Amino acid sequence: MADYRQIMRDGIWENNAVLVQMLALCPLLAVTSTATNGLGMGLATTAVLLTSNLVVSALRNIISNEVRIPVLILLIASIVTLVDLGMNAFMHDLHKVLGLFIPLIVTNCVILARAEAFASRQSPAAASLDGLMTGLGFTLVLVVLGGVREIIGSGTLFSHASLLLGNSFSFLDITLIEGYRGFLLMILPSGGFLALGFLLAGKKWLDLRKQDREAEATRRAKIATINAMSDEEIMQQGEPS
Amino acid sequence: MHEPNQIKPPADSKPTGGIKQKMAYHPALLGGIALIAGALLVFADAGTKGEIAARQAEDLRASLTQVVGDDVHDNALLSDTIVLHAPLEFSDASGVKFYRARKDGKVVAAAFEVVGMGYSGEIRIMMSVQTDGTIMGVRVIQHAETPGLGDKIEARKTDWIKRFTGLSLGNRTEAQWKVKKDGGEFDQFSGATITPRAVVRAVHKGLAYFNAHRAEILDTKTLPGGPDAEVPHG
Amino acid sequence: MIIPPSSPHIAGPNSVQTVMLMVLLALLPGTMSGIYQFGWPALFLFLITSASAVAFEATCLKIAGKPVSFFCMDLSALVTGWLLAMTLPPWAPWWIGVLGSFCAIVIGKHVFGGLGQNLFNPAMLARTILLVSFPLEMTTWIAPRPFGTPQSLDVSAGWSITANGIPNLDAVSSASVLGHVRTEIGMGHQLPDILVSMYDPVASAVGSISGSLGETSAVLFLLGGLFLMAKKIISWHIPVALLGSVAVLAAIFHLIDPLRYGDPLFHLLSGGLMLGAFFIATDPVTSPVSSMGKIVFGAGCGLLLFIIRNWGGYPEGMAFAVLLMNAATPLIDHYIKPRIYGHEGSAIGRYFRQLKRG
Repeated sequence: MADYRQIMRDGIWENNAVLVQMLALCPLLAVTSTATNGLGMGLATTAVLLTSNLVVSALRNIISNEVRIPVLILLIASIVTLVDLGMNAFMHDLHKVLGLFIPLIVTNCVILARAEAFASRQSPAAASLDGLMTGLGFTLVLVVLGGVREIIGSGTLFSHASLLLGNSFSFLDITLIEGYRGFLLMILPSGGFLALGFLLAGKKWLDLRKQDREAEATRRAKIATINAMSDEEIMQQGEPS
Repeated sequence: MHEPNQIKPPADSKPTGGIKQKMAYHPALLGGIALIAGALLVFADAGTKGEIAARQAEDLRASLTQVVGDDVHDNALLSDTIVLHAPLEFSDASGVKFYRARKDGKVVAAAFEVVGMGYSGEIRIMMSVQTDGTIMGVRVIQHAETPGLGDKIEARKTDWIKRFTGLSLGNRTEAQWKVKKDGGEFDQFSGATITPRAVVRAVHKGLAYFNAHRAEILDTKTLPGGPDAEVPHG
Repeated sequence: MIIPPSSPHIAGPNSVQTVMLMVLLALLPGTMSGIYQFGWPALFLFLITSASAVAFEATCLKIAGKPVSFFCMDLSALVTGWLLAMTLPPWAPWWIGVLGSFCAIVIGKHVFGGLGQNLFNPAMLARTILLVSFPLEMTTWIAPRPFGTPQSLDVSAGWSITANGIPNLDAVSSASVLGHVRTEIGMGHQLPDILVSMYDPVASAVGSISGSLGETSAVLFLLGGLFLMAKKIISWHIPVALLGSVAVLAAIFHLIDPLRYGDPLFHLLSGGLMLGAFFIATDPVTSPVSSMGKIVFGAGCGLLLFIIRNWGGYPEGMAFAVLLMNAATPLIDHYIKPRIYGHEGSAIGRYFRQLKRG
């Protein structure tokens, strides 16, 4: 029985594809020059992940071990092609921007990794949830990274959001700093590396802080117990270490 | 390494395991899934083909409209074309496509794409020339120049590209078709000379080609539909 | 591995302070000459860049919980800021200097763990970030306007340039020699014709040419470098290998096609070569430890510099050459180990090696 809560936590944060597993860094750095691009790429990848996990999980009993890799690749490639065709037809402007990177989702190692490590041995429900959550975790990083690079690099946030989400979402498209000259480095791939470095450091810092707090809480609980004990009990147990 | 597959342990293998152990199972599985996936893709392709073609035609029409205003012609630019074989430096190997704009059946201008080599790769430029050899409009439709420097060739950033309108080989000498740094009359941008130089050169070449092949480009006898041709909608 | 005890003559950061003081002293004549050539805006930019470098250093040390006064007194941040200022266009706006110092000290140095831990030369890293991000500001050179001449600006006009930027860019901008040669060669002109109007070896040597502060007086930086060598603060290996390889390559190509490639003297006097060879490539943190390694490092810098100058995308390539060889330094150190440990003559080298060991 899969623990759905744990799947959600793992996918989005604790076992995040980028921040923890360090997978899929290539598309991550390539498309995150704006938050909108990050969001578009993230959602496309999420759609592929969800579908591929579902399909692989549904077929897991008939896929034999010997040919599983070619079968998985075939399934993933077909799903990506479907997404590519669909985006070209129905989100044409965004497809022009992301164009080259959509077919490359096939080579995104996160998808094969989830199919192989999770979906091929779990129920379709758990596998779909895992695909969705891993995809959302990936999207989260793409959007944050794209946002940071866009704000510092060109002073806007979610520029051209209406290309992706339709005109009703054009309010997302904000120019934060009027007349900003732009800091080109952040738009270039090297800026992606820099921003990712700081993002990883930020995650590490949050984790360490959490650890410290937990350690502190345990320590206080211990002190509280000791304070509550009588002298005889302490003598019996010896000095707490 | 797969010999053990042929010597199946009869007793303790599960029924499905037994099927999976058969040699024929793997190719059949792979083939079956390939067949299903292939069929799915064929359907998807058929379902989106029209939509994608329409979107692409829209893109093309959008860039054509930038250089050929709707008020100067009344025909469908996309269906009134002629392809000429141009030198390689000019465009891709298959030749240049000329879109002819007509008013009341008479050709008034032709639009075509030229390509310049900029600072970072190709700059695709759409330009339109009137029958007398005067430039009607020039727009950059795709480029990868440095943001903030070379991208001033975009019409939405500066008016630089509009400088070409009204120029012809007749009213400008060979020497004037250059950026100021090279002794011509076009502004370069501070910090970026290569980009404007590439655009000026490409437009100049395009104009020269138009002049040299004017008769072929404007030849009205080769046209298929004439002014009645329908605007494809998508 | 046996870690030899530190030499009894070195007492810690104080010696770093002395060494850095020597470096600053050696930089001073060239710097003053450059400021004299370009007037008040150059002085303002220089002061802003150096001061902000020290300020960022202090901030980073505070965040990292290290003693601020103790480490700031070693002057290394001041040297970084100073060197960065030497590579900026002298009339660049103030924020170029501040942002550059931020990139150098925070991204180039403290992100790697502070003094002695950085892989790349901080000043060159910052210059490259600025050049890639702000090509306009970073390639706007002006012709010299020495103090006391009619063209020189007064204090308030000078401050306005540093604070608000250059108002009429095209009126004052003037291409550097290397930049001009690059453009003209690209247009099919021949080198001797180009140089006739543009290049004067004497002017390049004394520094009355357009460029950054550090690209002006080749002779003064050469003298400063020789002073550092005489004081045994830097060894001869890197500068000689670097200048030598550039000279040899230039001679070879000049013999093959004099219409396209400049002679050795032209290359040695142009751009930031002298500053780079003596003050930047010799940075003990980011260059190899062994003598042989240093020669390989210097020659590599020279080769890359020559390639970038002649066939690359930018007219000058000192920063790129040094950064690329910085990246190769661990590899060089791996394959070329010093024969006798601690044999190096330079005190600063020893100090930084101790830091590297941790």
